Formats: sequence, structure tokens, C-alpha cells
Amino acid sequence: MTRGPGRPAVSLGGPVVLVLLALSVILSGCRDRPAAGAPVTLVFKHAKILGPADPVPGLLRRFEAKHPGVRVVSEALTWSSDEQHQFYVINLEGGTPPFDVMMLDVIWVPEFARAGWILDLTSFVPPAEREAHFPSAIEPALENGRLWALPWFMNVGLLYYRSDLLARYGFAPPRTYDALIEQVRHIRAREGDPRLDGYLWQGKQYEGGMVNVLEALWANGARLLDEAGRPFPERERARESLAFLRGLIKSGISPAWVTAADEELTRRPFGDGRAIFLRGWPYALDLFELPDSRVRGKVGVTALPRLAHGPVGAASTGGAHLAVSAGTRHPALAVELVRFLTSEMAQRAMTEGAALRPSRPALYHDPALVARDPSLPALLGLTERGHPRPITPYYLMLSTTLQPEFSAVLVGRKSPERAIADASAQIDHLLRAIAP
Amino acid sequence: MTDRRLGWLLLAPALAVLGGLTVYPALWVIWLSLQYRIPVFSISRWAGLDHYAFLAVDPRFWSAAWVTAIFTVVSVALECAIGLAIALGLRGQRRARRVALGLLLLAWALPSVVTAKMFEWLYHPAGGLVNFLLGGRLINWLGDPALALPALIAADVWRSTPFVALLCYARLLSIPGELYEAAHVDGAAGLQSFARITWPLVRPLLLVALLFRTLDALRAFDIMFVLTGGGPAGSTETLTVYAYRSLFQTLQVGFGSAIGVVVFALVMLVAVAYLRLIDAEERAT
Repeated sequence: MTRGPGRPAVSLGGPVVLVLLALSVILSGCRDRPAAGAPVTLVFKHAKILGPADPVPGLLRRFEAKHPGVRVVSEALTWSSDEQHQFYVINLEGGTPPFDVMMLDVIWVPEFARAGWILDLTSFVPPAEREAHFPSAIEPALENGRLWALPWFMNVGLLYYRSDLLARYGFAPPRTYDALIEQVRHIRAREGDPRLDGYLWQGKQYEGGMVNVLEALWANGARLLDEAGRPFPERERARESLAFLRGLIKSGISPAWVTAADEELTRRPFGDGRAIFLRGWPYALDLFELPDSRVRGKVGVTALPRLAHGPVGAASTGGAHLAVSAGTRHPALAVELVRFLTSEMAQRAMTEGAALRPSRPALYHDPALVARDPSLPALLGLTERGHPRPITPYYLMLSTTLQPEFSAVLVGRKSPERAIADASAQIDHLLRAIAP
Repeated sequence: MTDRRLGWLLLAPALAVLGGLTVYPALWVIWLSLQYRIPVFSISRWAGLDHYAFLAVDPRFWSAAWVTAIFTVVSVALECAIGLAIALGLRGQRRARRVALGLLLLAWALPSVVTAKMFEWLYHPAGGLVNFLLGGRLINWLGDPALALPALIAADVWRSTPFVALLCYARLLSIPGELYEAAHVDGAAGLQSFARITWPLVRPLLLVALLFRTLDALRAFDIMFVLTGGGPAGSTETLTVYAYRSLFQTLQVGFGSAIGVVVFALVMLVAVAYLRLIDAEERAT
């Protein structure tokens, strides 16, 4: 992993790209020049789907049955999102990527579209099919008004609470953060358990930390960028949001270690019954309801609370999209595969088998699915209120640049004013490089 | 063919390899660092010294430089001191020397990403072994900017000390025992024989170990990348992590190369300084 700075990108990248090119030539030679009548092979690159039963192989066999002579090979991506991005960048920059259909994190779609790495799907997808998905899942797949990817599954930020503890003290789920803080103080004072934490969230310096900060901004009616791409249009509100997050730690409402916490580091203590509130993604719900879970039947979900100037439930959306590589030799078939895998039928199978949440609102009222997962109808309203993160080809640059600034506020190294000023200077430098 | 010509001819393959693998990429990176270049968005413009000018006033760059310096000085000093102590201890040990050597090698042989992952669990604030051994305190090792860098240094010392220890141990084995016997006869006590015999003989080798470890520490990447991602508040972001983020995550090839060039210059500077020291040492003996 060590990348010696004395041998930076080019000296490493050159050989790597060459090797990959050679490999892709060999691979494409194997699969793309079939003898007449030999089957066509599509390569589908995606992260391993966790959950009770992986529905992907079954879906791919159904696709093959519908398209005789087509074989779909599914290849696994590494688990970490950073590494996935790096894998795609190296392969797609090389020009002949060894895959046809790929799973993308929703925040990469505009970047990949702008780079010319993925096919424009606009003319292949009828309006009705597009409108069957949440708008907050379609919007981030748009760049220049064209559609570049279709949503595969969907995530939204949620507030988990201990329904047993709230009920014991006569509280309703909080709508504002003031109420949340009040409830934490009240419950912890009465419970007298020093191991019971108040509110857990993700404050590590990584993309998840960025999501938590964005949600705090939105909860106070502040944005990261305005329509023209200028940073922090509502500066005072943004300052309040950052000060609020820091205050959670300073006042002990959240333990100090949230500054190094990711999803799993916070999900586990809450699942052990050691916290009252948790900001998390929907996947945690299934884990809390497992038969051997200590909080089984004691967990509720609700919308993220609001601060003074914002709405309730201003949560970030996330999830995965499917796109077609611009270098594919079988564009029509690859687009077919994307439409098939994002269809209502396939998303139902994904929801059933992999405990993922669909990007199609209709499925949240599907009787069979609701019978298996009674939380679905409640999630519908929460997902509809969710926001995508800023939609720009430069999102990853922006996020990577800002993460240390926000982290500095959370650990008390910088005042919110100072972090906002420094972050703005860096965004300006970035944008100067892109558009002088 | 003259001898001179033959000499050049024989040197040519080595020069070509060196040129192709080292000089050419280095020049290419310097060239890139003078441009705004983001291939993903087909941006390629002349920037001159803009990137360097920005770095000169970029607080993130100076913070990374500072972190790199502290990490390098502290971890290398500890590794050399502890490594030498272990080597001396090993020499005096009669039993289970092989087992001790094996255990030392184990730490050194683990891939650094594995080491980093292991320390992630050791440092876990609620369930980690480190806090458990400290009596169940909730010390926020990786989430507190004052503790994160020391925690990373400790992990690096754990991993790299064996390298220094084994090197020193090998040198100690090659010191003839008669030297010590003679010293003993002359009445030199333990500390004196260390100062007069062991230290002068080990010092040149320790300098070489120091050179290797310093260059490695200046380019350290895996441990911080896995454990903290450079956080919190960039308090563990080294120059290489900053360069990686710019190059591979945000794809700013020009800007990232500029950071790379600075690190390259830094490493060269340190290497030359050490080589002079080693040279002087050799001339003195």
C-alpha cells in the first residue's frame, strides 16, 4: 500500500495502467470476439451483497433465460468505497475497462458522467420508468440534464431511539434537537447508569462524517453550496450547526469518541443497549431485531430532528446506482441488464433477499414485503424527505477537502467560524483549478 | 575501443535502467507539478509555480509537514533506542533466544495493513485491549487529536523496532568476545565496556538503520490511512496521505504531484545528510 512520494502517481500509474490495459485486451479478446453463434458475455462489477440471501445470482440467471445466448459474469468489488473508486478510476482512465455494467456509489455518478466514462441512458429509459424512483434517487444521477445511471437500492439517514426508555419517562420521539438533549438529560439522570450514552453519531474524518455534518447543516436550513457553487451561502446558520455538533460532545450528550466513530462503531454500543439515540442507516434495523439482539423490540425509528431554522427529517440519502461503461461492446444489452436489475421485480427480490431498501416508492406498500418487514411504510415517508448530497462532478474533491475542517471543529481544534473560513478558501482554490 | 569507451558501454545498461526508472519519472512529476491537470475533466493548463505558492500558505500542507516531522523523529528515535536495548538484551540471554527472535520477526513480518487493523481493535475506546489493561478507562485514542498521533507512533514502533533490533543484534554477534575479555582483564566495568567497545562498533550500523527507518517514516502511509484516515482534524495526516488524497481520491494530478515533489526533495535532503554522516563515520574509523 505504501506509495513512495519519490515514485509518485506516474511512475506507479504507468506500469499499472499498462498491465491493466494488457489484461483488458486479453480479457476482451476472450469475450468480445465470439465465433458466430457463441454466447455474448456481459461483465457486471458490483460489491458483494450482504444479507440473508444474495439475490443477485438468481436475478442474473433470469436475465440470461430472457436473453438466450447471453452470459452475465458477476465480479466482486473490494469492500471499501475508497478502493472501489480507485479501481474504477484506474480502469476507466485506461479506456478499455474489463466490465460492462457497474455499481456506483450515488455520489460518483456526475463525476463519471463528466469524465465520459459511462453511457448516457436518457433515450433508453422512458419517463414513466424514471418517475417510478424517488426523485432524490434520480436527481444525483443527472448531469447536464441527462440521465446516466438508474438507482439500484436506497438508503436514508434515520434517528433510532430506545422506545422502552422513552415510554418509561413518557416521552414522544423528539422532533427537535433541543427535545432530544432534554430527553437524554432526563433519562440518564433517572436511569443512573454511567454506561448509558446519550446520542451516538458518526464524527470520524471520512465520508460518513461528512454526511453527518451535512445533515446538521440542513437541519438548520443551511447549505454547503448555493446554485452557483459558492460555499456556505447561509454562513451564520452553518456556524450554528457546527457549534451544535461540537456542543453535543462538550456537554456529554454524545461521548467524546464519536469523533473517531463510523457506522459500525456506533451501531454496536446502541445494539448492546448502551445508548438512547443513534443516527444510522436502515440496515441497522434488521440487526437490532435479530433474535439474540439485546434491544429486540425496544427500538423505534423516526425522522432526524431539526435545529432552529430547518425542517424535520432533513436526512442524507445514499445507496447504489447501476451504470453502463462507455467502453462496452454491447451497449444495448448492457442497458437492458441495468433496466432489468433496477426493475420492480428485481428490487422486490433485493428487498426480500438482501434486506436492502428499494428506490421505488411503490414497493414500500407492497403487501408481501410489508409482511416481512413492517417498518417499510414508515421508511417511505422518511426516505421521501431525504436530500441527496450536493450534486456536482467535484463532490469527492469537495468532501475530501472539507472533512479535516469539519473534524477539527468536532474535536475542538478550530472554531466553527475559522473552519468555515478555511474551508471556503480551499473550495475557492479547488474551483479556480477547475474553472478559471 | 578505448578503456574509457568500454567503461561507458558497460555502464550504459545500468544508466539506462536508472534513467528510465528514476530520473524520467522524477522529471515527469516535476513537469506535472507545474500544471493544473485533472485528466478526468480534461483540464490541462499551465500553472507555473501556482501550486507551490498555494502550498507555501496552505495550512493543511504545513500541518501535514509538521505531523510528518514529529512522526519521523519520535518513532525513529524510539525504534533505535528500544531496538538497541533489545539487541543487547538478546545477546545476554541464554535461553529461548530463538523463540525471542521468532517473536520479533513476527511483528516485522506482518503486512502493515494487518498491523494497522489489529491496532484499530486494540485502541477501540469501549472494547479495546489497551483501555481494558488500563483499568477500563474510556480513553479516546484515535478520536482525540492529542492522542491519535502518539497512538500511531506506538503502533509504528511496535512494528518497526524488530528491524533495528535484528540489525543491531547481527552486529553484536560479530564483535569478537576477546575484546570484552581483554577489557575485563583491564578492569573495565559493564558501562565502560559498552561506551568504549560496543557503542563505537554498533554506531555505524545504527546510522544505516537510522537512514532506512527515517526514509520509511517520512513516507509512512498505511498506518494512518487505515487507522485514522488522517483525522481527527487532520492531526495524523502526513504529507504522503495528503498527496494520496489529492492524487488518487480527488484526481488533481498537478497539485498532488507538487506535494510529491516536495516530499521527494525532503527525502533526498535527509538521505544526503545521512550519507555524509555515514561517510564521515567511515573515514574516522
